[in-house]
Amino acid sequence: MIAGAPALAADLTLSIKTPSGEPVKDAVISFRPAGGAPAPKAQGPYVMIQQDIQFHPFVLIVPLGADVNFPNRDKVRHHVYSFSAAKRFELKLYGHDETRTVHFDKAGVVALGCNIHDSMSAFIDVVDTPYVAKSDDQGEAVLNDLPAGPGTLVLWQPYLKAPRNEQVHAVTIEGSARQAYVMDLRAPPAPMTMTMPMGQ
Amino acid sequence: MFRRLQTKLSVLYGAMFGLMLALLAAASYVAITGNVREAARGELQADGAVFDRLWQLKSQQLQGSADLLARDYGFRAAVATHDAATIQSALDNLRQRLRLDKAFIVGLDGTVQGLDGRSLDDGADQLWQALSNADDASGALLIGGRPYQAISAPILAPAPVGWVVFAAKLDRTELASLERLSAAPLNAALLIRKSGGVWRVAGASAGPKDRALIDRFAAQALAAQGRALRLNLTGGPALAVVKPLKTLGADEQAGLLLSYPLARALAPYQPMLWGVALLGGLSLIGLLAGSGLLAASLTRPLAALDEAAHRLARGEDAHVPVSSGDEVGRLAASFNTMAGEIVERERRITELALHDSETGLANRRAMIQHLEVLAAEGGQGVVVCAALGVERFSLVRSAIGYGLVSALLKELGARIVQHHADLQPARVATSILGVSFRAADLAQANRFLADLIAALERPISLGETEVDVGLTGGFAVMGAHAESCPALLERANIALDQARAMRKRVMAFDQDAYGDPASNLTLMSEMLRAAEAGELALHYQPKLDLRSGLACGAEALARWRHPTRGMLSPDLFVGMAEETGHIRALTDWVLDRAIADQAALRDAGRDLQLSVNISGRLVGDRDFAEHAMARIAQSNARLCFEITETAVIDNPKLALELIEGYAQAGVAISIDDYGSGLSSLAYLKEIAAQELKIDKAFVLGLAIGQRDALLIKSTVDLAHALGLKVVAEGVETAEAAALLQTMGCDTGQGYYFARPMPLADLLRYLAGQQGSAAQAPARIRRQT
Repeated sequence: MIAGAPALAADLTLSIKTPSGEPVKDAVISFRPAGGAPAPKAQGPYVMIQQDIQFHPFVLIVPLGADVNFPNRDKVRHHVYSFSAAKRFELKLYGHDETRTVHFDKAGVVALGCNIHDSMSAFIDVVDTPYVAKSDDQGEAVLNDLPAGPGTLVLWQPYLKAPRNEQVHAVTIEGSARQAYVMDLRAPPAPMTMTMPMGQ
Repeated sequence: MFRRLQTKLSVLYGAMFGLMLALLAAASYVAITGNVREAARGELQADGAVFDRLWQLKSQQLQGSADLLARDYGFRAAVATHDAATIQSALDNLRQRLRLDKAFIVGLDGTVQGLDGRSLDDGADQLWQALSNADDASGALLIGGRPYQAISAPILAPAPVGWVVFAAKLDRTELASLERLSAAPLNAALLIRKSGGVWRVAGASAGPKDRALIDRFAAQALAAQGRALRLNLTGGPALAVVKPLKTLGADEQAGLLLSYPLARALAPYQPMLWGVALLGGLSLIGLLAGSGLLAASLTRPLAALDEAAHRLARGEDAHVPVSSGDEVGRLAASFNTMAGEIVERERRITELALHDSETGLANRRAMIQHLEVLAAEGGQGVVVCAALGVERFSLVRSAIGYGLVSALLKELGARIVQHHADLQPARVATSILGVSFRAADLAQANRFLADLIAALERPISLGETEVDVGLTGGFAVMGAHAESCPALLERANIALDQARAMRKRVMAFDQDAYGDPASNLTLMSEMLRAAEAGELALHYQPKLDLRSGLACGAEALARWRHPTRGMLSPDLFVGMAEETGHIRALTDWVLDRAIADQAALRDAGRDLQLSVNISGRLVGDRDFAEHAMARIAQSNARLCFEITETAVIDNPKLALELIEGYAQAGVAISIDDYGSGLSSLAYLKEIAAQELKIDKAFVLGLAIGQRDALLIKSTVDLAHALGLKVVAEGVETAEAAALLQTMGCDTGQGYYFARPMPLADLLRYLAGQQGSAAQAPARIRRQT
């Protein structure tokens, strides 16, 4: 726990765009002050819905130690899995209106997939700082009540072309500000198709 | 260029067809090789397409396997959780199952699992780059320096955690199987080029020359975009195409070289080409032989014709055998006809040349030929040529006509042959037949000819008419009278003239009587010069009055002292002058001389009438008359012209007229040589003469017999009756002189009184005469 005089709270507004000017959505921005960040409070429930053969939301930010529910709203069964280092789990074949719950106790990005349905993909970012936000469709995100002072700003997006898909910036919070960032994204993976021997 | 038609034809044909054959062969060769090349190109193109397909299929096959693996849940779990052992065993298992050469994983961070790390060298980064750039990167890949066909599949767990890469070796076996697929004999090789490096054949070593070649060629061929190009390797020229291969490393370039050795491509056609060449060669040989034969068949008859033409020119038999019916054969036939015609025409011409067309007898030329033959034959005796002249031929011809006279001659010819078969009579002149024969001697010839003429002189009947014929013969003997045959004939003709003059039936050529005409002709030109040179002189023979014994005139006589021949008699040159037309010049000179001499005489105190002989030729010459009278008038000369009667008879009217003129001009006229030759009493009375000169023949005969005396007497009486003075010529004796005086002759002239003498002597003679100057006798004018 970091002891110290409470610094001035500031808001940081970010605008994230691609090099060609397109807004970047589902980017997770987290700020860790230099002195350390207080533990985030769990504000549940956190839900990763499977509906229409897709995970909703695409990117879910949960605090460390949170439990996430995985309700299946589809008529078909899903086999949710993740091999990520932050959490390795699988929820084998549970069906409609069934739900499972997974506890996330490690910080990091957990990539979700369905073994049956290749097109299903989502990410859970387990963060260890309360200062975190997700960009919207316009590529805008706001970090509230940031303590002034230096810190590390980490920008993460599933398609960001960078090692570990994240950009790390050293920033100093001096008051409410608006910053723009550029993210070079790769194209979202096309649905995996099997190559048939005769080239169809 | 060519002398012989045969070689010309052969060479021309041979060259022409040879050229065509060569062109044909060349065209065939070009066509075949072009065709082969095109076929090869097509094959290459097709094989390139086939290879593309094969590559694709293989890739697809590998891709299928890779995708399968990449989706496997267990495998994904192993990769995501970095379970190296599981990963490795899964890879090994699959590699074995699928008989893959290489199967490995490339992580997101670029780490390579399942492959000896050193194998990729710095290719690892490029590989990672390629894999991250594309979801299904595939292509050629160098692993450990060897080429592989590689495919990749991303491992999504669920996010991409890496790629699995499968690789199949691209080695000789692969290429060999590709080569076998092709119908054509292709060579397949893989070309690799590291960026900044040269193209080289993967897995094979080539010679340094070839390496450079391949590098250059690869660049060209890729630029040509699949079109086959020509590649000249040390192994031989080839058509090649380079198909670019996708590579997994951006740094590398790969291509497949498919080459088609042209030699092998052409190999199946070689026999055909050889066949064409052989056929062409044989055809050419056959052609040359054929054209040679053709040319020969053309030129042989032409050569024969040429040779025949030469024979014809030489006069030999020029028949050409006709062997074919074509143009050459027809030419030969025409040539034969022509040769025959020529021979016939020659014969006719010869015949015409040697025969007289009127009578059909041999002609002069034939006669000479016959003489030559006789002379050449040799033998005993001498060659004789005789000319038999028909007497009074023109009269006979006028009487019986030209046609019958030819028949007459023909008949004579026939009779000659009848008399002696070998004689070969010829018509050598219009009225003369010639014969030639051998005789023992001159006398025998004479006898023979006499016999012949006797035999010929029987009357000839021509149709209804009977004609009497008289012949004279003159002959000449080869060697004695002439050396050449033409000269012999000429002498025979002259002998004939001589015989006629001598009124003999047959006579041999008399050289002496003939004299030397040639020298006589030169004499004439000399005479004219002699007049100027002073060799000619006038001598005067005085005419004495028989009663007084004094000179009452003188006759001018030309004398010529020739430088080489001496004193020439006037009989010789005056007679010659008359015959050659020089008499005018001579007479003019005599006239001038006489006038001058008379002037000299007058100067010397002697006035004497001078008599000048006027030739019968000049009596009728008006021009001479005018000239003479002009001269006389000019000089006031006192001349007397002595003219023979016969001269007048030739052209009486004109002569009498001119004589009248002379008389009017005061020239005395004297009738010379009266009594000899033709005397006409009719003309005697016509001629305006003053005197009459009795021919010396009578005077000379005075001494011999009575008759001459009687004749002279009557002539003197006749002359006196006509009013003419009488002069007696040729008085040589005193008795004659006395007799003449008694007969009443007025004047005498002759050697008895005086010989002809030059002027100077005449002057002396006149001076020697008794005393007194000669007086001109009173002229007795004839009463008209």
